[in-house]
Amino acid sequence: MTATETTDFEAIYNQYAPQIFRVCMGYTNDAEQAKDLVQETFISVWKNLATFRHQSQISTWIFRIATNNCLRALEVAKRMPPAELPFNMAEAGEESSEEKLKFLYQCIAELEETERIIISLTLEDLPQAEIAAIVGLSNGNVRIKVHRIKEKLAKKFKLNGQFN
Amino acid sequence: MDNLTNLKAIWHSAKTDNLPTSAQMLQLIHKFKSQRLRKKWTVIIVASLLTLLMIFTMFYYQPKMITTRIGQVLITVGCAWLAFTNVKSISRFYHLNDCSNAEFLAFIEQTRQNQIYFYKITQVIIMSLSSVGLLLYFYESASASLSGLIITYSLSAAYLAFIWLVVRPRTFRKNAEKLNTVRAHLNKISQQLKDDEA
Repeated sequence: MTATETTDFEAIYNQYAPQIFRVCMGYTNDAEQAKDLVQETFISVWKNLATFRHQSQISTWIFRIATNNCLRALEVAKRMPPAELPFNMAEAGEESSEEKLKFLYQCIAELEETERIIISLTLEDLPQAEIAAIVGLSNGNVRIKVHRIKEKLAKKFKLNGQFN
Repeated sequence: MDNLTNLKAIWHSAKTDNLPTSAQMLQLIHKFKSQRLRKKWTVIIVASLLTLLMIFTMFYYQPKMITTRIGQVLITVGCAWLAFTNVKSISRFYHLNDCSNAEFLAFIEQTRQNQIYFYKITQVIIMSLSSVGLLLYFYESASASLSGLIITYSLSAAYLAFIWLVVRPRTFRKNAEKLNTVRAHLNKISQQLKDDEA
C-alpha cells in the first residue's frame, strides 16, 4: 500500500474503530471477542481498501464487514445468568453508568442475532436506509424491527425500575 | 421514544480508549497472516507442483509399459483437478467484498453446500484417480521381481486403505459436525431475516 492509502486507512480506523467496537460489543457481550472482531474487520478493510469500488458508502461497507464477522462467529454472547447480574436492578438510581451499560449489553444479548445488529446500528445513529443496506432487509422491515426492539428494551428497562 | 435517547447515552458511555491505536493496528495487520485461506493455498501449491512434476516426468521419462503412462496421466489429472477445485473455491472468497448480512448468509450456505459436494463427489473422484494411478504407476518398476511386487503393493495397499478407511471418514465426520453446527446457526439467523420479510 502507498503512504496515501496508509493515511486513508488510519483516518478510517480512527473514525470507525470505536463504533465497530460498540457494535461488536452489542453482538457478543464480550469485550475480548469484540476487540478480536474489530481487528478482523480492519484486517479485511486494509486488504480490500484498494479495491473498494464505492458501490456503497464506506461506512456501509465497513459495518457490513463487521456485522458479517459477528454473524460468522459461532460462540458468542457469554450471557450472564440473571442471578449473576452485577447489581440489583430494582434499586435503580444507584447504578453507575458502567452498571447501566452492562445491563444494556445484557438486554441486547437476550435479543435475536439480527435484532442485536439492528439495535446496535440504531444506537450508533445510522440512518434506517443504511441499516437496511447493511442487513439486507427493506427500509420498512427495518423500521418495524427497530420499533419492536425498542419496545422490548424499554420493557426490560421499565421492569427494572428505569425510564419510569 | 424518549428512552432511545437514554439508551444512546448509555450506549455511547462504553469506553473505547483501550482499543489499539491506528499505528498499533497497522502493526497487527502486518504481522497477521490469513489463517482462513492458508490451507487452501497450501493444497493449491502442492497439487500444482505435483501436476508439474508429473508432466515433467512424462516428457523426460519414457516408460516401457502402458500402465506407467496411464498411471502418470491419472495422477496428473487428479492433482490438476484438486488444484482447480481449490482455485475455484478460493476465488469465491476473494470476490466476497461488499455484501449485506443476507447475502453473506447465502454465501456461507453455498460454501457449506460446496463443501458437502466436495466430500461426497469431487474428493472421491480425485482420490480414485490418484489411487488407481499410483497402483498402475508402480507396476513397471515393481514387476521386476516378485518380492518387489509384493512389497510395493502391500505398502501401497496399506497406505491407500489407511487413507480411504481411516483418514477420509475421520475428516468427513469432523467436518460434518462443524458443518452441521454452522448449518444450525445459519438456519436460525436466516429464519430471523425471513420472518422480518414476511
